Amino acid sequence: MGNSMGNVPNNGLNRFLDPEVTPGPNEKPTFDPCYGFRGTRKERKMIASEAQMRSAKIPLKERDYCAHLLISYRACRKDVWPFVLNCEHEKHAYLNCQYEDFVLRMKEYERERRLRVRSVQEKSKCK
Amino acid sequence: MALARSTVVFSLLRKKHPLVFTAVRNHWNKDYKPGPYPKTADEHITAAKKYGLLPSEYQVYIDNGDGCGDYPKLPVQSADARDPFYPWDIPDSKRNFNETIQAEEDMYAEHRYDISMRHRVPLKVQLAQFLGFLGTLFVMYMICEKIVWFHAVAEKQYPKAGVKHYSFDLGY
Repeated sequence: MGNSMGNVPNNGLNRFLDPEVTPGPNEKPTFDPCYGFRGTRKERKMIASEAQMRSAKIPLKERDYCAHLLISYRACRKDVWPFVLNCEHEKHAYLNCQYEDFVLRMKEYERERRLRVRSVQEKSKCK
Repeated sequence: MALARSTVVFSLLRKKHPLVFTAVRNHWNKDYKPGPYPKTADEHITAAKKYGLLPSEYQVYIDNGDGCGDYPKLPVQSADARDPFYPWDIPDSKRNFNETIQAEEDMYAEHRYDISMRHRVPLKVQLAQFLGFLGTLFVMYMICEKIVWFHAVAEKQYPKAGVKHYSFDLGY
């Protein structure tokens, strides 16, 4: 999650000082997702199906792109109970997926911020 | 005769005898009641004598219906302020026998309020400390209200029909 003690207050300060350029927390990106890329971006694929998630009683909050790993982790725990340490591989895979997901969100945020800065600069050029 | 007297004495042992009941249960009896408010100079002198005071130092509470009657208005002095080394007749409450006590003595006893207490930190400084602490908290609160800390992340992506999410890898 990055350098929280330094960046987290700084994000707040930036948002206070430059609200036009700094996106808020958990905001949806506003620019075209393919803008500025030379190739095409890979689409994210959801592996677990709705029926599987419903069957495994995965809470709505956790029905993200890592849900298939969560299902296998929970299934493993259920199979080997009480020796849950045997599921370390499944747990590691799930948490790594969540980490990658978070990094992707951080990248989206930074892309949004930089594109906002860019659009402000371009606006000021026109004048 | 002796029998009659013993009957009177034994009747006092009854739990609900009015005299015993008032004196023991309510710590009060009719003799505690002050006399009527002194109106003339003569009554003034008599009342002063009754309470063992000089007529010059004898002052009365205003006759406003509070029932203080002729009870003297004595200066307030907390029990805590009285000399602890003086050989009091009743050391527990720092009183002498037959001493006329202040009308509100029960408010200023040792286990109650000490009116002459000197605070280690003066009252004004205490107020300043209190308001300063709360003010600091309030200022911090106002700053954090304006400058909200957050993790620099975009919204969490959930798969949904009709919505496409992309990774940062290029597919070509």
